[in-house]
Amino acid sequence: MIINMHKKVTILTLILVTAALMQCSSADEAVLRIGTQDVVKSASILGDSNMGVFAHLSNPPLMKMNPDGTLSGQTAKSYSVSDDGKTWRFEIDDNLYWSDGTKLTPEDVKFTFEYIADKYPPAGWIKNTVDEISVDGNAVVFKLKKPYSRLNLEFTTYNILPKHVWETIDKPTEYTNEGPMVGCGPFVINKTDLGAGVIYFKRNPYWKGKEPNIDSIELHMYDNADVLSMALEKGDVDAYYKYAGTYPYTGIKKLEDTGNFDFVEKDNVGLVFLGLNLNKEPMSDLQFREAISYAINYTEILKIDALGYGSVPNRGFVPPSMAHFKETPALEYNPERARELLARAGYRDGNNNGILEDADGNDMKLLLLARSRFQRVGELVKEYLSAVGIGVELKVVDDTTWMKLKDEYQYDLTITRTTPWGMMMHANWGTGYFDSRRTGEGVLHVLSDPEFQKLCDDILAARSDEELKRYAHSVQDYYAENLPGIALYWNKVFTPYNKKWSGWISDPLYGIYNLDNFLNVKRVA
Amino acid sequence: MNLARYVISLFVILSLNFAIPRAMPGDTMTNLLGEDVILDDTLVQEIRREMGLDLPLREQYLMYWKDIMHLNLGYSYHFHSPVLPLVLERMKWTLLISAPPLIVGAVLGTLLGALAGWRESMRSRLQTLIFLIIYSTPPYFLALMSLYIFGFQLGWVPMKGFYTTGSAGNIIHHIILPVVLMSLFSASRNYMIMRGSVIQERQMLYVLYARAKGLYDSQILFRHVFRNAALPIITLVALDFGFIFSGALFIEMVFSMRGMGNLIYSALLYRDYPVLQGSFLVITLMVITANVVADVIYGILDPRVRGR
Repeated sequence: MIINMHKKVTILTLILVTAALMQCSSADEAVLRIGTQDVVKSASILGDSNMGVFAHLSNPPLMKMNPDGTLSGQTAKSYSVSDDGKTWRFEIDDNLYWSDGTKLTPEDVKFTFEYIADKYPPAGWIKNTVDEISVDGNAVVFKLKKPYSRLNLEFTTYNILPKHVWETIDKPTEYTNEGPMVGCGPFVINKTDLGAGVIYFKRNPYWKGKEPNIDSIELHMYDNADVLSMALEKGDVDAYYKYAGTYPYTGIKKLEDTGNFDFVEKDNVGLVFLGLNLNKEPMSDLQFREAISYAINYTEILKIDALGYGSVPNRGFVPPSMAHFKETPALEYNPERARELLARAGYRDGNNNGILEDADGNDMKLLLLARSRFQRVGELVKEYLSAVGIGVELKVVDDTTWMKLKDEYQYDLTITRTTPWGMMMHANWGTGYFDSRRTGEGVLHVLSDPEFQKLCDDILAARSDEELKRYAHSVQDYYAENLPGIALYWNKVFTPYNKKWSGWISDPLYGIYNLDNFLNVKRVA
Repeated sequence: MNLARYVISLFVILSLNFAIPRAMPGDTMTNLLGEDVILDDTLVQEIRREMGLDLPLREQYLMYWKDIMHLNLGYSYHFHSPVLPLVLERMKWTLLISAPPLIVGAVLGTLLGALAGWRESMRSRLQTLIFLIIYSTPPYFLALMSLYIFGFQLGWVPMKGFYTTGSAGNIIHHIILPVVLMSLFSASRNYMIMRGSVIQERQMLYVLYARAKGLYDSQILFRHVFRNAALPIITLVALDFGFIFSGALFIEMVFSMRGMGNLIYSALLYRDYPVLQGSFLVITLMVITANVVADVIYGILDPRVRGR
């Protein structure tokens, strides 16, 4: 009886000690928890755009953007381009291993680009641009059909795939894998648990690069911004992340007051702007666009919509956070000047009802199409334009309806946004949003001016950074003179993080979601 | 006759399920690849062709019926999954948070409502006030406030998801607050209706007659009044049952739960026709079944209906 009692006590003690040890070891483990509103719909790294971004950590792209906006190699150790701009050579890092132990080879990189060119619609441009991809020693060589200055920039977005896993997958956009996934980054996706709303990353056992300071990463997805803020404050998550977005400005003060949080503060590369349907009158009239630019109270919009966290933009559209930014005149709120310009351009209020008449003598009534997230900005713009005699009907719609209507040019004016990558796509500096030769879900494709299109082509064919800089300035001058779109404010991006962690690195493209950041972040002692 | 009515209803509703999503601006392809991707027109047309969106509507409609007959709900290009397993997976979780409130709300609301309607007291007035406040509070606000108090301030419940580890206890811990909230909403509505219904019934002559016969209060209430007063509740509970798989969007949004409400909402935003059709098919079948069941129960409880 006594022996039995002793046995029970011993077993119980063992259980308690083991539990306590497990508790200690889990407490020692450095787990970084990031809260995000970029909710993944399916565990498909090529089918789900959010999952594609999150996979940059496990399947790092060939190139990366540095905090200062310059580019350097990531999976590629270095790169070079021939004088004629048609041959790009990427030297692959010899020290990378997939998480199943096999070595990453240039063949994997070659396979990735041939594979996505063929099977992944957003990479379809590769077929039209690249003539041949070959392996030369430890390098992958891209021979192009014509010079393409953006190849290194494009390669900051595509995840490198292990050939031995993906070569048997016929439809990559339909392929889902809830983990573990084979990756070559310092962390790999161990499990995508959509029911729990968490993506778990663990260390790649074969990673031979800089040793990370954290053991694992968890991405917690929240549908609701208020709940995510609470989770951050409560300590459920350590930092906030949103691609092309900032932490809600209304919550910044509250987090600051807790004394537990700091912020990575960066100028946004994306922006909110007023788009104009340049195919229609009176938006095709430069004087009318000039008048509109003077009618808008930029300071007020900035104060109301971004709580003052930003600045009044320039006529050159492109924000200072982009490479080769050129200082152009600032946009100015001057309703008197707007009225003068409208009168000079022949827009009159013949019946004195406060609304100008169009060419047919009818009261002008422009359709202002706003995406639902910009309703408040839409209301403000409507008010400003009405104040100078431009009648406006505001129509607020969901994203899909907006895409449909703008593709059918069923609007006069529109309030929309650019994302960081959007600003860099096509010929960079926001050109992708305007060039009528391009199409896409977020772009306006309303600018057919040969001068502008030649500028875009020149950028794409540029062979040196000097040349690029010159064209970049020309594009900004073009925007300033012609106002194909009017930036409404340039804002700042705030990424809060708990002071228990330090060493945060943010780049202009993906913010804190970059490999260098996760290699650098460490728990404060 | 009734069977014909149900079959015709089913046909009309399923046809509407095909038509309504397509009446909305845009289609499945519109918002598929992300807003900062540039595509050329040929590629867009190719993807549309792959999805069958280039076919005339008449052909799409015929294919839709053919697929329904073969229980093929199609493939979702947004969720990268065949629709049937996707919907079944979401239904499982939705059932977990919707079924208990349906039962608890029906039992609690009906009983308390009946008692409050039968005899007014200070306690019943207070009870009515509480249920009225719950009934008239927007679900989103109440859910957020509850999460703030019990999740954020007190730390009693997790802030999101159906589970973390997936064990039974862990799941219960995650869903307890949403279930309590939904039970309260359901109970408050049933309470208000039952209370009103009993107040009306107690004025009837048969109640006076029962009392004159010397029956106890509880006998009059539960043997006679309850049976008559519960008829509107049966309709409502049947409707609730019909919509059990439509999810609780606001609750799911606040608690970041991937249930049917969330699925249908996303599918609406992305014009994901196969998911919308699949989800609506399930809801349609459930609503029609619930109607059949309600008709049967009505017949049992009310001889006048049986006689018709």
